[in-house]
Amino acid sequence: MKRWFLALCLLPAGIAVFLAVLILCGVLPNPVLYVKGNAALIALIAGVSLSAGMLLIFLLFSRIQKRYRDEIIQVQKLADEDHRRFIRRLDHELKNPLTAIRAGLTNLSSEPLGEYLTSELNAVQDQVLRINRLVIDLRKLAVLESTLPERADVNLAELLNYVVDDFKRQDILENRRLTLILPNAPWPLPDIEGDGDLLLLAVNNLLENAVKYTSPGDTIEVRAFDDGNDVVVEVADTGPGIPESEMERVWEELYRGEEVKGVPGSGLGLPLVRVIIEQHRGIVGLRSRPEKGTVFSIRLPAKKSGSQSGCYRWVTRHA
Amino acid sequence: MEKKKELNGNPRLLLVDDEMAITDRLEPFLSRAGFQVRVVGDGVSALQEVTMFAPDLVILDVLMPDLDGREVLRQLRQKGDWTPIILLTQVGESAERAMALMEGADDYINKPFDPYELAARVKAVIRRSHPGQPPLSTLERLRSGDLVVDRTTRRAYMNSVEISLSPRAISLLEYMITHPDELLTRERLLDAVWGWDYPIGMRAVDTRVAELRRTLGDKVENPEFIETVPGQGYRFIGKVENSS
Repeated sequence: MKRWFLALCLLPAGIAVFLAVLILCGVLPNPVLYVKGNAALIALIAGVSLSAGMLLIFLLFSRIQKRYRDEIIQVQKLADEDHRRFIRRLDHELKNPLTAIRAGLTNLSSEPLGEYLTSELNAVQDQVLRINRLVIDLRKLAVLESTLPERADVNLAELLNYVVDDFKRQDILENRRLTLILPNAPWPLPDIEGDGDLLLLAVNNLLENAVKYTSPGDTIEVRAFDDGNDVVVEVADTGPGIPESEMERVWEELYRGEEVKGVPGSGLGLPLVRVIIEQHRGIVGLRSRPEKGTVFSIRLPAKKSGSQSGCYRWVTRHA
Repeated sequence: MEKKKELNGNPRLLLVDDEMAITDRLEPFLSRAGFQVRVVGDGVSALQEVTMFAPDLVILDVLMPDLDGREVLRQLRQKGDWTPIILLTQVGESAERAMALMEGADDYINKPFDPYELAARVKAVIRRSHPGQPPLSTLERLRSGDLVVDRTTRRAYMNSVEISLSPRAISLLEYMITHPDELLTRERLLDAVWGWDYPIGMRAVDTRVAELRRTLGDKVENPEFIETVPGQGYRFIGKVENSS
């Protein structure tokens, strides 16, 4: 709301205070005034002016609130843009030196170096590849953020089955119990619209994360259900849990939890999940209890199948 | 150009990049890989050297001051010079890379890259290039047997009947048919068509290749178009020609 309008609103009160002061100081006379009017008129004037005053305050308040919200969104947008620009610059500044380093190391490795230098060279090469991977992953994240995913029908149940089977086939579970729970009654999991390959990557990353931060003997449960509007996929584990203070930050690029810094990882697995799900008009979230475990959730809009919505009709009875 | 190649034996490469830290390392590497290499650091010299040095292939960085790689490519193609060109692209934007191909680049490779991968691409492009003719990647309609791929409309036809393919399967077919006889690893296909190359994506490649085979009626044991290279990837084995 404009400042002048606020000033205009306060002007009558200001004049009243000024006059009262003048009267009380004896500058102006202070006669006793008797106002005569009928009750209906007085009630009308009092009621309407009170309502008008309150309405004004309400309007003022909601305008201020809206402006505050818009400002937050604007600041967030600018920060996101800044962030993407930073990633692009970082990518740009790192790609040339990395190309030169990789070529130089390749040249060195073609020379006879002896055992010690060869092993040192290999160690350096491994680390360069690590930075290389990081640069490429950051770039891919930026690309995913700016491109819309392909839209096709995705059978999520089939996809989850594939990922879980794939993990069971690999030799990485080491006595972790991995189960998949899918609904069958009264209907199976509905399809969703999107890019099956990207969603596969997202679920894979969640599961990889669960395996990484649990120990042999722990349980990992993948489950999915629909609530009539959305399909929810959860990856739950009995791992160490995530501290309250880190719960939102795990979705940020390159963030690594304080207590898991020893576990190798790029800090890009979960951000990738977030970007993929957000690009599918979905949301990500997690709940966790220390020493108990964590549940990662992704929620995606289900594909509508005709008029049969299958939505809940909730009934609430208060005692 | 053919004459010079006979005289000197090894294929000639023109390496164009303004980053000396890169060219100083790549030059000895590419020489050891069996190429005659000449290095220039800007677009204007690149245009001159294409005429003077008559390279069999140009490795061209995109981002250079004054005349950038894309402009060099455009100018060369405009005057009908079809010297094979590999672009060193700077961003992972697949749309930008696709555009570079349509503008006449024979292939592209993202920085930072493995020098061995660059050498392999150079050899592949030289092998499939026909001196003086536009590369397959610039053609709008390609034919292989009964299969026709129209790249402007992104449609494919079998015996003149349109076949239904998912957008990604079309992109995959397009990439494969413009890189015939080349070993296309799953990683490379993922990077080129999907834009990312995580291990789980290998399955995505296999699924789409299966979709292509099913739709094209191609048999795994006796393929007409797509051959499986066990443990490595795929190869488009059909003979590809211009159908414009």
